[in-house]
Amino acid sequence: MRQFASRYESVRSVAVKRLLGRVGFATVVLLAAAQTADAHIVASRLGDFYAGALHPLTDLQDGVLWTALGLLAGSLGATHGRWLVLVLPPGLLLGLSVGLSVGSTWIAPLASAAMMVVLGLLVALGLRINVAALCVIALVLAFMRGVVNAGGAGAATDRVLFGAGLAMCGYAFIALITALTIAFRRLDAQPSGTWRDIAIRACGSWITAIGLIAGGFALAS
Amino acid sequence: MTQNVRVTTPHAPATRRPRLPRSALLPGLLAMAETAFAHEQQGVPAGLASGFLHPLTGLDHLAAMVAVGLWGAQLGAPAIWILPITFPLVMAVGGVLGVLGIGLPIPEIVIALSALVLGGAVAARLRLPFAIAAVVVGVFAIFHGHAHGAELPKSADPLAYGVGFVVATGLLHLCGISIGTLSRSPAGGRLIQGLGASIAVLGCYFLMRSFGGPS
Repeated sequence: MRQFASRYESVRSVAVKRLLGRVGFATVVLLAAAQTADAHIVASRLGDFYAGALHPLTDLQDGVLWTALGLLAGSLGATHGRWLVLVLPPGLLLGLSVGLSVGSTWIAPLASAAMMVVLGLLVALGLRINVAALCVIALVLAFMRGVVNAGGAGAATDRVLFGAGLAMCGYAFIALITALTIAFRRLDAQPSGTWRDIAIRACGSWITAIGLIAGGFALAS
Repeated sequence: MTQNVRVTTPHAPATRRPRLPRSALLPGLLAMAETAFAHEQQGVPAGLASGFLHPLTGLDHLAAMVAVGLWGAQLGAPAIWILPITFPLVMAVGGVLGVLGIGLPIPEIVIALSALVLGGAVAARLRLPFAIAAVVVGVFAIFHGHAHGAELPKSADPLAYGVGFVVATGLLHLCGISIGTLSRSPAGGRLIQGLGASIAVLGCYFLMRSFGGPS
């Protein structure tokens, strides 16, 4: 009886392994045959919301500048960072409305490059600025990027949805970068001056370098 | 006591169905393959790729950047942490000069010298005062940045190119510093000195080439 039970268990184990192997192989085949999923509802009215949210993510200037601002706020601490999520979205909306009214081409690439240099230097040098100064910088930056992003809205674009998408994207982006920087620094666990601080300051240096080169290109062209 | 019992199904059928070998599905998978977009792209992707690959594909740049990281790790604090912060800045100044078309004297020779000097410093465990070491590295950084700026592909997005090459350079420094931490052990220290000597030999080769020697 015991031998029969042992044999039955072995047979079942072999069968299960074989079944799992077949399922795994079928999964690999299905994944290999996967096509692009057209899951976005861009054809509906909400497409303008996604257009507003995705437009800054397709531009490296927004990515670099928002990252720099998030790094700066995160390196200054959570007290500073909390203000940023309140200031940035309204600044973006203000800039967007101005850009939609008077055009978006008057913000020169040199201004964006200069902003990269300023933000990068503040991070690289580890300078501590007060909350008011950070808010002013964030407001100026958000206004500039709002104006530039207005160029992505066409005549038929729903401006409210586009603006909502842009503001939501800015809010999420800056909140994430600031939170990640604060978590990375681990000020509660380690004193300042550790390799984590140096890594953040090195990122600031990289952003300054990118800004300098972008400024050079702007001057050359 | 263990027994090697051959497991058989109690109710196994007398004849087995012929099974299709799994390898037979391979042609089917290959038939389902889609177009590979392997051609060089334009704009931002091209800029990022060109900028990122430029310091990695040029052996002279790669050797010098790694040597900077190794030397910084050998020198210890404060060089090891000031280096990754200041080097990209100084290099970017050189990059701006290159973009603006402002020429520097004998750039190829200085870039070749950078591998020779920095590799030699690592090989000899040269411990210069920090200020002098910073000036030496800074001068070489300007020339390397100038080369990056001057060789920008016309099709590339300038900002993306800048992002690519700054990030690649920073990662090369990080690579050098990480390898340089081996210098804490005697065997690791000798290994790094050997690496430095190899870089110096490469520098000699680049120097000969820049003077019109064998290519």
